Amino acid sequence: MDGFGGTILRINLESGEIKRTPTPEDLARGWMGARGFVAKTLYDEVPRDADPLGPENLLIMAPGVMTGAFAPCGSKIGFGCISPATNGHADSNMGGMLGAEVKYAGYDMVVFERVSPEPVYLYIDDDTVELRPAGDYWGMGSLDLEKKMKEDLGEDFQIATIGPAGENGVVFSCITHDFGRQAGRCGVGAVMGSKRLKAIAVRGTKSLPVHDLPAMTKATYDIIQRTKSHPLMEPWQKYGTALFVGWANEHGCFPTKNFQTTYHEHWESISGEKLAEEVLVTHKACFGCWMNCGKYSVAKIPGKPDTYVEGPEYETIALCGGSCGMKDIHHVAYANWLCDNLGLDTMSSGNTIGFAMECFEKGIITKDDLEGHELKWGDIDDFENVVRMIADRRGIGETLSYGTKGAAERLGQNTIAFASQAKGMEFSGYDTRWYWAQLLSYCTSDIGAHHNRSWAITADVQIGQDTPKGKAPVVIYLQHIRPLFDTWCCCRLFWGELDVTPEEHVDTIRQLTGWDVTLEECMQVSEKIWNITRAHYLERNGGPGRQFDVAPARHLDEKIPSGPAEGHAVGRENFEYMLDDYYYNRGWDKQGHPTREVLEILGIPYVADNLEKIGLLGKPFEDGVPKVRGEKLKPKAM
Amino acid sequence: MIVYLKSGGALRERLRPDVDHYTRRLEVDGTPSLKEILDGLEIPLVFVAFAFVNGKFEHLDYRPADGETVTLQPPVAGG
Repeated sequence: MDGFGGTILRINLESGEIKRTPTPEDLARGWMGARGFVAKTLYDEVPRDADPLGPENLLIMAPGVMTGAFAPCGSKIGFGCISPATNGHADSNMGGMLGAEVKYAGYDMVVFERVSPEPVYLYIDDDTVELRPAGDYWGMGSLDLEKKMKEDLGEDFQIATIGPAGENGVVFSCITHDFGRQAGRCGVGAVMGSKRLKAIAVRGTKSLPVHDLPAMTKATYDIIQRTKSHPLMEPWQKYGTALFVGWANEHGCFPTKNFQTTYHEHWESISGEKLAEEVLVTHKACFGCWMNCGKYSVAKIPGKPDTYVEGPEYETIALCGGSCGMKDIHHVAYANWLCDNLGLDTMSSGNTIGFAMECFEKGIITKDDLEGHELKWGDIDDFENVVRMIADRRGIGETLSYGTKGAAERLGQNTIAFASQAKGMEFSGYDTRWYWAQLLSYCTSDIGAHHNRSWAITADVQIGQDTPKGKAPVVIYLQHIRPLFDTWCCCRLFWGELDVTPEEHVDTIRQLTGWDVTLEECMQVSEKIWNITRAHYLERNGGPGRQFDVAPARHLDEKIPSGPAEGHAVGRENFEYMLDDYYYNRGWDKQGHPTREVLEILGIPYVADNLEKIGLLGKPFEDGVPKVRGEKLKPKAM
Repeated sequence: MIVYLKSGGALRERLRPDVDHYTRRLEVDGTPSLKEILDGLEIPLVFVAFAFVNGKFEHLDYRPADGETVTLQPPVAGG
């Protein structure tokens, strides 16, 4: 099958059995890889009462249709499981070199089942697939282990690892690769740790079958030439995402001191310019990319070892920096390194530690909880102490290891009001009180709050910031188009930044696979994935669905106290209006339950049958569901 | 004086390029800041993250010189 490796691997970690099956063509065309394969496989195979950290959960690693093709930046690979943070479908993807290596070894999906009796790592060298002992690696940091395994196996192996946090089940643990690329969100690292799978090492030397190689080569060459001379290429290469720190502050959406406010007085000391001036070592790219937007940095802090890390990116600066009140780019880079080596998502870590700092400020967490340390805003030593306690699940670190929602449930005292999370996953680095569509994006996201599902800040402005009207359709459009890149597995920055259109990516898929595919079909696949993950969430967590799409009190009620967005808050009535509008435009009922009509349009009637059996199928619309879903919701000038 | 503004993505559409695919040529009076130029073009500042001039980052209070080319970077989520 053109465009695919051709084989699905199933690895029973308990018995050691390894099975190979051909990748079904209907799975490939119908779900397109990565996020799609993960959604379909988890829905069909994981028992609804399976413990996310128990043996019945699956861990899935899957590249997408574009991974490994010398098409625009097909570097990505997805990881999926039931999330220990949200108890729902999870997928999280990473760039780097791993995805292409897996595809070149011939694999479209690797499904890890059950739990290994001893720590192991997966070794893939083309057709050689083995589980090897990893007892000597257990306990090592993610970055340290990658270096060690490169020394042990050779530079041409691509390595993915977990750190101590993943071994210990911290619900926001990540999987790390290429010394700083992460499948960061949803706690995929904790599920890998629960299976006692410490690492994955892959070398692939096969070729990837391409349907029309001359056409794909020419189209890709044209895109390279065009984007190389694009006016925005140079700023991206020079600064990466960190340059948006200034913009986020100037427009009142920069999370500051646990989202207490949205303007950080010291933002210039942790800005992209500061990063370039003080900590940047070199630029770094993923497979098949000529942009080099990754920044490799060194943190130099008196009394601490110099530490090298990829980053910090905007999200890490916003959440480990702004939300924790930091004032020094070296401290942010060091916090980035700590999280990476411990195997923690920098976004949820920064958000959770900012939350803990506010608890400390309010006297809810004390020095007794922190082994004699304090937890002051902007203090890197305090940050280091608590992040290590979290990774080890020691003392208050055990409470915080559940993330902001889990910690708030354990701490009580209405701390849930200032836990910036949705469905148990922490907000990305954008406050929403002046950007209401972004709040709707977070709260309706299938994996919990994450900007890569829908980033609606500028769309919000385009529609009009202080109105709930017109927000839902644009959020739905974004929830289909942005995660589509995580299904195809190509980087979305070339779309957002360098004017490579989604239609051009679809052309590439046609050349790659020989499919007569259209963007409309791809958008429908994305909508299908969104509906099956929603159904999966409902089947695991019960109903009504509306109870899960809730916003934190801080973002609804507390007016921003300072900065450019001073005085703004969303308000409960406005949020409920947006939610009603969202459900309607999705073709879901007022409780947020998908209707049979929508599920049948999307070709998954069996999901409707399953929802009907448990009483969670949406009530039918009297006049039929809206016919404007997907691509047709795209607003003008986006 | 003459100022050339370049951009991409959604911001390119707002800029209405007339020189090439990315570039708009503008004749302006005096030495206005980029903020003032953008106001004149009715482009909300939130759609511009920063400016890039001669390989260097600049804020929107930057005042371009005659004949200078300024690249305007739209905000994009990533990381």
